[in-house]
Amino acid sequence: MRLDPVTIVAAGVVTPIGGDLEAFWSGLLTGVDGISTIERFRSDDLRVRRGGEIKKLPWRSKDVACRASRLLITAADDLLARAALGVDPARVAVVVGTALGGVAELERALEDPSDTRHAAGALYDAPAHALAAYLGARGPVLTVSTACASGATALGLGADLLRAGTVDRVIAGGYDVLCRFVMRGFDALRSLTRERVRPFDRRRSGLLLGESAALVMMARDADAPAARLGRLLGHASTSDGAHISAPDPEGRGLALAVRQAMGEAGVSAADVDLVSAHGTATPLNDRVESHVLRQALGARATTVPVHAIKAGLGHTMGAAATLEAIACLLAARHGVIPHTLGLEEPDPECGLDLVMGAPRTARVRVSLSTSLGFGGCNAALVLEGGPA
Amino acid sequence: MRNVAVRAAGLISGWGRGVTALPADARAAAGSRRVIAAVPTPRTGDRLRRATRECVLAVDAVDALLEEGALSRDEIAGDGTALVYVTAAAYVASNRAFVEGGGGALHFPYTAPSAVPAEVAIEFGLHGPYAVLIGGARATIDALTHAATLLARGACRQALVLSVETFAECEDLGARGGWLGERPLVEAAVAVLLQPSENMPNIGEGDPDGVGGGPGIGNTLACAPLVALALARASAARAIVLTGQWRERVATITLGVDGPGPCPAAA
Repeated sequence: MRLDPVTIVAAGVVTPIGGDLEAFWSGLLTGVDGISTIERFRSDDLRVRRGGEIKKLPWRSKDVACRASRLLITAADDLLARAALGVDPARVAVVVGTALGGVAELERALEDPSDTRHAAGALYDAPAHALAAYLGARGPVLTVSTACASGATALGLGADLLRAGTVDRVIAGGYDVLCRFVMRGFDALRSLTRERVRPFDRRRSGLLLGESAALVMMARDADAPAARLGRLLGHASTSDGAHISAPDPEGRGLALAVRQAMGEAGVSAADVDLVSAHGTATPLNDRVESHVLRQALGARATTVPVHAIKAGLGHTMGAAATLEAIACLLAARHGVIPHTLGLEEPDPECGLDLVMGAPRTARVRVSLSTSLGFGGCNAALVLEGGPA
Repeated sequence: MRNVAVRAAGLISGWGRGVTALPADARAAAGSRRVIAAVPTPRTGDRLRRATRECVLAVDAVDALLEEGALSRDEIAGDGTALVYVTAAAYVASNRAFVEGGGGALHFPYTAPSAVPAEVAIEFGLHGPYAVLIGGARATIDALTHAATLLARGACRQALVLSVETFAECEDLGARGGWLGERPLVEAAVAVLLQPSENMPNIGEGDPDGVGGGPGIGNTLACAPLVALALARASAARAIVLTGQWRERVATITLGVDGPGPCPAAA
């Protein structure tokens, strides 16, 4: 069923490769590597001690104790510098995705049995409510947690609130912080690489984690301001029902998400100009994702440009899909596709037209962005952008 | 969002299995107990050996739903059933255990809230549309609304809305953080199956004759609206108005109830 597109008015971000949208985009094009040795918490007992850590946050958010909330507020400041909300605060919703929520606050609360402040932030929806309070938004506040697909699912649910007429503006996106909890988890899973992150490379050996927040302002097409970044044409989130941590080897859930999102968008493989892949650089993820993309794109699989942006940022979990959606819209805006950092020797098994080595000039209108997460979560977004 | 009805409901709570186990007065029934813990069905075999208590409770709730609705597993399996999960706090126990227990590769995937619906999806073969929302009763209203939206656009033919809340392992943290409300805290796992129904009132319209809330079973956070749906189904209500509140935000939804008594379509 084809749905009404929803306008993406503007975006705001804070990432390890840049503290605002311009720096993020410039970092993608110039191949900035945001991976560094982790400094903010103890990591000396871990196999891998590197990640996409944001070393410095704006001074103006210094009074916000919860780092996740601070990331969101920083991204919101960047967003609001580009577009004003301009509607009744009661008609503004906040929909954000996260894999970890306030778990860093839980860690701190458990260190001190008398602590109350950090214990209050231990619930995963606390940062979304902190963002709503900062924005003065009095509409619905939704926290989505479809693991590393959360940032895509959040955009889809935000679009639904607009289509239903529940609100007039939605601030949607995703966030996650780098903390000892998640570093220990992925370290134990042996998912972290000691080498460079190399999406779709035959030498790929795993991922590195990162932290970010990414937000977009969404509005119905009819009442969006004239200056726009692009449109969300379609979204779908599905479950694999296959394994608690690994993707379905055949990628059936992701394939369904791609089909449904393209159906909502009313586009076919012939319309797709760019694919932003999840591209974690784990052997299994990239193999499954390539298989699904080859199926979805059919005869065009070897000619549609595919890129992945996680090598320079780290896998930013709840923020990843929103950052990738924003990158798609910026690629359409500027007519250039960032290359896949770390990719030097494409895995021939992947069989895709991977953008590597340098950014590629291209006319991009319709993009497909795919995401996968723990618990068999999958999501796909279809976006439309163009020159300003 | 039109013409959606509850086709089946399954409830496991600290009071026992099903709505008949619920007390008339939770405070009196709780006595001095602050948390009424739910006990999952003991399981043998490997399938759920590593799963957390909240995961097994969720599977129990869906089993109870199938029994209550006289449905087979085949009737919910596949990509035609959406799965929408909501919880305020059921992940805190596994998060805490990971932090305090030193962590490990086998435990870590279960720290994600999405582990609960993942185990349900694996157990019952659900491959359809999917969402996980975090929050209290208000988020459950959002989950029901999302399920109804998916049904209305034809993204699925039915939607399983699931909620689990556990407190026993983290009650002290909740008290410190101020995110647990009035006592007694009653653990619960509830599943409801929504289907389109031509004979039901439209969502947000209709003339409800059942009202959410139930007979004060205790504080179940996100489970509360679904407990009310299970009660409504048992009482043969034809429609129900549900109100969910969390963090000073309130939402309401009206749903049809395809009760186990005389079917409205045949009445």
